[in-house]
Amino acid sequence: MSRGDAAADVASDTESWNVVEAVRETLGQEMRRDDSVRLLGYDMGPIGGVYRATEGLYEEFGADRVIDTPLSEGGILGTAVGMAVRGERVVPEIQFMGFFYPAFGQFMYSLVKLHERSGGGLELPMTVRVPYGGGIKSSEYHSESTETYFAHTPGVRVVCPSTPAQTKGLLAASIRHPDPVMFLEPKKIYRGEREAVPTDEYVLPIDEARVVREGEDVTVLTWGAMLRHAETAADRVDADVEIIDLVSLSPLDVETVLDSVKRTGRCVVLHEARRTLGLGAELSALVNEYALDHLHAPIKRATGFDVHFPGHQTEDAYLPDAERAEHAIKAVMSYEF
Amino acid sequence: MSYWTEVRPREDFYRVLDPDGSPIRDPPDVDEGTLRRMYWAFVRSRAFDEKALRLQRRGEISIHAASVGEEAVPIGTAAALEPGDWCFPTYRQTAAMVYWDASLAKAFAGLMGTEPETTAEHLDEEGEPAVNFSPPYVPLTVNVTNAVGSAMADRFNDRDTVTMSYVGDGSTSEGDFHEALNFAGVFEAPAVTICHNNQWAISVPTHRQTAAETFAQKAEAHGVPHDRVDGNDVLAVYEKTREAVDRARGGEGPTLLECVTYRMVDHNTADEDSVYRDETELERWAELDPVDRFEAYLRAEGVLDDEAASRVAEEAEAAVDEAVAAARAVPESDPQRMFDHHLHGESWTERHQRAELRRELAGENPFVDFDGEGFE
Repeated sequence: MSRGDAAADVASDTESWNVVEAVRETLGQEMRRDDSVRLLGYDMGPIGGVYRATEGLYEEFGADRVIDTPLSEGGILGTAVGMAVRGERVVPEIQFMGFFYPAFGQFMYSLVKLHERSGGGLELPMTVRVPYGGGIKSSEYHSESTETYFAHTPGVRVVCPSTPAQTKGLLAASIRHPDPVMFLEPKKIYRGEREAVPTDEYVLPIDEARVVREGEDVTVLTWGAMLRHAETAADRVDADVEIIDLVSLSPLDVETVLDSVKRTGRCVVLHEARRTLGLGAELSALVNEYALDHLHAPIKRATGFDVHFPGHQTEDAYLPDAERAEHAIKAVMSYEF
Repeated sequence: MSYWTEVRPREDFYRVLDPDGSPIRDPPDVDEGTLRRMYWAFVRSRAFDEKALRLQRRGEISIHAASVGEEAVPIGTAAALEPGDWCFPTYRQTAAMVYWDASLAKAFAGLMGTEPETTAEHLDEEGEPAVNFSPPYVPLTVNVTNAVGSAMADRFNDRDTVTMSYVGDGSTSEGDFHEALNFAGVFEAPAVTICHNNQWAISVPTHRQTAAETFAQKAEAHGVPHDRVDGNDVLAVYEKTREAVDRARGGEGPTLLECVTYRMVDHNTADEDSVYRDETELERWAELDPVDRFEAYLRAEGVLDDEAASRVAEEAEAAVDEAVAAARAVPESDPQRMFDHHLHGESWTERHQRAELRRELAGENPFVDFDGEGFE
């Protein structure tokens, strides 16, 4: 069993859920378990969120626990910080990652800072849910994948699930964790892909990468919605591919990454974010600094391009897919130092 | 001669004491102990600022923002709080923390650049003030939104705690100010927001800050009750804040209070106010000094005499000297402290970078790990 393989850890009944259902069920479970858990954000109440991720929770818990706020990302994050300082376990939602920018001041000045600034005196147990990523044919600023901004910042964890069962365990663990967590939900896989998810409570480690597939020839580092493309590409290429789902984008599980690349000697990073200073740059640098002797080929990054996320007629050409991943894997397999 | 930088330079605010200290209406119901405490805080705050400025000139602290001239705002407002209430201050409300007996030694240690963990370790015998203070915020106006969140938490939990926060006139131009007041209004949060209108946001005068006639009226758009008060009259500040605090505690929601005052010193020790404001303005405001006004009132009321005033001044000097000595006795922060309290638990990155720093400080080459395992 791979580390962080959710369903295998738990003996309980299961239900077939997709990612957004896993989010909803987990939020309800945590709110029933702990009265201090409060959700706040825009459109979260009667409509149940634009993705229906909070559907039914307003009816069950009322307006003081599922808080429909004014349209103000800075207000949502800033008041959530104040509530967290006072002992609430707050789960704000920023509707789209591209809408996060007005909240960036509160993110930098208070969310990531107050625990350190107070010498550990103030705790900020907050999980900021941020649906992110492209592939849903949406409009401007609805498809952003700017996790680098968060991962570049100290004082916050960045966690990203890639399956329904994992979503449940990681979201529960994030909500219970004393640190602020940016919980990135890949909305491309919100629906459509289902799996059996244990209905009993369970948590998964939010700081460990998950070895999804073991292999000897090349390591593919990826996360979120890109994972399925890595798996498809791995099935297509003539190589024994190891796939690592990073899960924790910050702090990175460096040991798992280096252990794998030292064994395979080849590495591809697959992410939908823009390439320049995307997380692939950091991963490539880490491998260069600490595993260069083991490499048989340069690291390649199969990523989005350094452009604003394009219109929906063009987004398929922007987004990495199995084919781009396959090309990158073949390229590093074809090279020998 | 101009001494107001406002668009509407009228003294159209609530006032209890004339500039000469004589009451122009019935003073608020304040017991003698509270009056003495206010005076004590005025004197102690000014002694703190004077000492901090001297330490800055000697290079012992890097930068300090003094409150001189506007202490009636933090003192009058802080006096209206009760133990257990919360306060989210900026760097300009040291006097509010002084009023509630926060540690002067910790404040000096902070100015000296000591990491908070080191300070806590070596000054841990110092008690916490009865009002809960967040660390003073340096970035402007984010504290107000956090304070409103704190107040919302109280409202949702049916607690009668009040949360206070402070902004300057310049901060009312920031988006956070409006976001915070909007949330406060919508959620009827027990949040009292205090605006120090001290006429200058560094070098920008109030008429350049806003086309609105007052800063208080900015609350109007958010459905938040507001008031405007003479910020150099501590009794007026106290009375209006007390009303706002009582309303908040009674479940009647937020208030914005504009306190019209004047910053009689540079914005901070890196500023040079002579470049942007003229001396006559400063001289005029010096005549309105809040300490002199309050002292005149207390003397007329028989609460203060020469002997008591001397004693308070001497005790303040001694307390400040003692606090500086205690702060100086705190050892230099271990550089490894910089890694503390970012995240709970540990990570490869933190372990590795701590090791790199350790090697660098030991005079070794920190770049010799080529397999990621050498520093474990």
